[in-house]
Amino acid sequence: MRRFLARLANLVRRGTAEREMAREIASHLALIAEGFERAGMPPREAALAARRAYGGVEQSKELHRDARSFVWIEQLLRDVRYAWCNLWRAPGFTMVAVVALALGLGVNLTIFGVYDALILKPLPVADPDRTVRLKRWFQHHPGNDQFHFAPAEYQYLREHSTTLAGIVASYGDLDTGAGGLTVLASFGGSAVREQVRGRAVSANYFAVLGQTAYRGRFFRPEEDRAVGASPVAVLTWGCWQRRFGRDPNAVGRTIALNGLPYTIIGIAPENFTGTDFIPFEFDFWAPLSMIGQLDPALKSSASFQLLGRVKNGVSRGQAQNETSLLLRRYLASAREADPTTAITLERTRYLDPGDAGERAQMQGAAAALWIVVCLVLGAACANVANLLLARGASRQREIGIRLAMGAGPARIVRQLLLESVLLSGLGAVAAVPLSVLSGQSLWGSFNAVFRTINLSMPTPDFRPDSRVLAYGLILAVATGVLFGLAPALRSTRLDLNRAMKGEGPVFGAHFRRSRLRGVLLASQAAVSMLLLLVSGAMMSKLRDATVSNPGFDTRNTYVLVVEGEEQRRVDLWALRDRLARLPEVAATAIGEAPSGNDDGMVPMRAGRWYDRTYASVVSDGYFETTGMRFERGRGFTRQEIESHAAVAIITESTARRCWPNEDALGKTATLTLPGEQSKRQAADFEVVGVVNDVRQADLIHIDPLRVYLPGGLSPNPDIDLMFHIRGNRGQALAAVQSAIERMDRALLPSLKMYSLEDGNLAAIRGIYRVMALVAGVLALLAVTLAVVGIQGVMSFLVSQRTREIGIRVALGATAAVLLRAIVLPGLRPVVVGMGIGFSAAVGLDAWYHSTDLLSEPLLHRVFGTPAVCAEVALMLAVAVLASLVPTRRALGVDPMRALRHE
Amino acid sequence: MPSEDAGKIAILPGTLDLIVLRTLKTMGRQHAYAIAARLEQISQDLLQLNQGTLYPALVRLEQQGRIAGAWGRTETNREAKFYSITKTGEKALVEETRRWRQMSGLLEKLLSEGA
Repeated sequence: MRRFLARLANLVRRGTAEREMAREIASHLALIAEGFERAGMPPREAALAARRAYGGVEQSKELHRDARSFVWIEQLLRDVRYAWCNLWRAPGFTMVAVVALALGLGVNLTIFGVYDALILKPLPVADPDRTVRLKRWFQHHPGNDQFHFAPAEYQYLREHSTTLAGIVASYGDLDTGAGGLTVLASFGGSAVREQVRGRAVSANYFAVLGQTAYRGRFFRPEEDRAVGASPVAVLTWGCWQRRFGRDPNAVGRTIALNGLPYTIIGIAPENFTGTDFIPFEFDFWAPLSMIGQLDPALKSSASFQLLGRVKNGVSRGQAQNETSLLLRRYLASAREADPTTAITLERTRYLDPGDAGERAQMQGAAAALWIVVCLVLGAACANVANLLLARGASRQREIGIRLAMGAGPARIVRQLLLESVLLSGLGAVAAVPLSVLSGQSLWGSFNAVFRTINLSMPTPDFRPDSRVLAYGLILAVATGVLFGLAPALRSTRLDLNRAMKGEGPVFGAHFRRSRLRGVLLASQAAVSMLLLLVSGAMMSKLRDATVSNPGFDTRNTYVLVVEGEEQRRVDLWALRDRLARLPEVAATAIGEAPSGNDDGMVPMRAGRWYDRTYASVVSDGYFETTGMRFERGRGFTRQEIESHAAVAIITESTARRCWPNEDALGKTATLTLPGEQSKRQAADFEVVGVVNDVRQADLIHIDPLRVYLPGGLSPNPDIDLMFHIRGNRGQALAAVQSAIERMDRALLPSLKMYSLEDGNLAAIRGIYRVMALVAGVLALLAVTLAVVGIQGVMSFLVSQRTREIGIRVALGATAAVLLRAIVLPGLRPVVVGMGIGFSAAVGLDAWYHSTDLLSEPLLHRVFGTPAVCAEVALMLAVAVLASLVPTRRALGVDPMRALRHE
Repeated sequence: MPSEDAGKIAILPGTLDLIVLRTLKTMGRQHAYAIAARLEQISQDLLQLNQGTLYPALVRLEQQGRIAGAWGRTETNREAKFYSITKTGEKALVEETRRWRQMSGLLEKLLSEGA
């Protein structure tokens, strides 16, 4: 240990140590010489004899240096300084390389940064390692209700747990519709009521999660007990900022929620955005005891989401076992349709779809995106590697001398690698702020899309944490080694003689070297082609989503949505009858409105088909309202709705798939519908109508299977009133509004009316637009890198072969001959690369198609369209353009100067 | 030169430290040249000691705190760095000697048994 410190000290005091060493050796030599002199040797010879007797002085010095400090560190520092000087001396090259690397590393870091901020970071609570979400497992099926707990279960667990320091319950994000619990609020005593969103939580919520109020206080335990007696609320920071303008006197004021005045007792800190699965913005927290007043539409009893904090000194496994046992003991006496088998304590995440399937989808999308940005980084690396190769050729003399002087090739390779890592380090330093900015803007564009459907998410913390920085560091080093290794190895394999004489390579020598360069160029071209094709496919997807016919009318079909407390009160059917009488309304219906983003599937057995199908519940008049066409049969009748008749209407492709070449009318389909409390029942339905195909599930592909079932009687957050307008839009909407007003004035504030076009469809298209934008940016990046790469390589080729070109011209070569001999071979790798990229895209498409059997293959659409031909042509044009300038230079070579070219 | 070194015994690695410590203990304060000269003398030139390898060993020992060096003047008024053994060095010497004796005794036993 003592020695280690001494060595470390000598590392720093290098100058002093060297002087000391020189002094000692000199004194030793002097003493030896003195001995020889005393024996009679003349001083000159004595000195030489002393040196001989001492042994190699330089070797001794080396040994000494080895013992004195950490030699490899000294060497490293020296190499770093040398590398830095080298880069500084070639600013053009360094600039281009650093920019290319910054771009490549930047997109990679962006994706990882976003992934980290959303998925790897836990919830912004005080003790994230010990804070857990409770999740239950059923015997028969996993589903979305895995995070639902009944109030009585919560009470029991809270009272009996010895391993969890606290368990909190939260209500309002699980099954109360998108955005959560909505109430009508009025601020500051004004009569205007708006919709705000909130959560009901247990009194210990903030304490267990370790939050301190920014202003005011949080709930007290007694405020949780008496039902309906504690109208107090805590505001979120966002609400305080938006609606109160950060008024310091906000605490103590009242807001009326659903008519009842609540006192504001505190404001939450800025970085605490709640514990929802998907962190949408909301405005307040209220105690659990006020649930009944906040959500009158609550059927039977609520489900809570539970979170807990594991006690210090207890492991998560222990806590998990105990909690599981407790719940099973409690439920032993209860009767469950699908018994709970276990509880697990899950780590929290900022964004957590909850459902295992959705989570897998998200991971899959993230992985795919990451692969794409890695490809872009690979293209950037190939670029820089090519540049390095070119530079290596011009540093032959220097390297040759160093090798001749006895430097081991390993040492030189190490030093060159250091230069590469330094380059990528610089690129990484530039990439980090770039990635934060682009992460934020990416988030911003997605959020803008959400805002069109009146939702928004608070911006997550994109500041790079240790994970992101570590990833960046590792990536930078790996990148540096990756693109630096081959050129470094290549540089040291020299013919020393020729290198030292400074001769450039003549006719034959460059063939060997160009293989590597060709490979690099080809890989760049491949990546660019692949990305171009992929982004083209994304754009065509977007175009399809925007242009293709969804199968139903979107402009003139309107949806009427009632939110909040009024939802339970309003009688949609009475409202419907009222509107149906208006001349401006052509048809009305009640049911699940098409949204362009559907994933409610149920298992069905029909004819030869046994699979999951999309299913919607609709009333009579639905098809007239949405402008759909009957191919066969008819729509539902009022009686069928009211009697819950076992009839169904299917789309054309469903009929074609299940009963090909037969008439589907009168056939039976067996569906397994979700019933109460997750009981599943299979029932037979008779087909009474066949309608045209729709693209309801994702706006791009025709729904392969879809059935419509009669219903719409019971209130349900997914069921809305739809109507189809006739004539002038403004007049029709005004008529509808006044009709509602006449019927029930108080309804107006909780009402929302939008056409299908402006509603969810716009949001879905917005998301596709963002995706296409991202793909486009990546493709553009790849193509830019390719252009720079091709241009650099071609320039280099021309400059290397200037002498050859001069000779050819002197011998009478024409421009055509020159092109064929010099330029075209240089472009060959590009064409090869394009071919590889093309086949990669084809392969990718085939694989994608094979894993998703119901979707239409992208293949025939992508490769049948002119878009693909355009992309290929673009790539070729880009390659030709990039080599234009060097080509002209080649053609303009003056043979006399070329022959004298060194 | 191979022919010259044919008769010499190369120093086993790790034993150089022991030798230096012992020399300093018996001879007291010495400079590097004197140590080397003494070794040559005792081993009757059988020991193949490159004077240059002595130096790193001295640095090592000094870093470990087993010897202490100070610049001074020889009788002929040339400057040299004089080394002397420290308390730590003396303890280490005892320990290392014990281990060496143990190991060589073991080796001796093994070799004689084979005979």
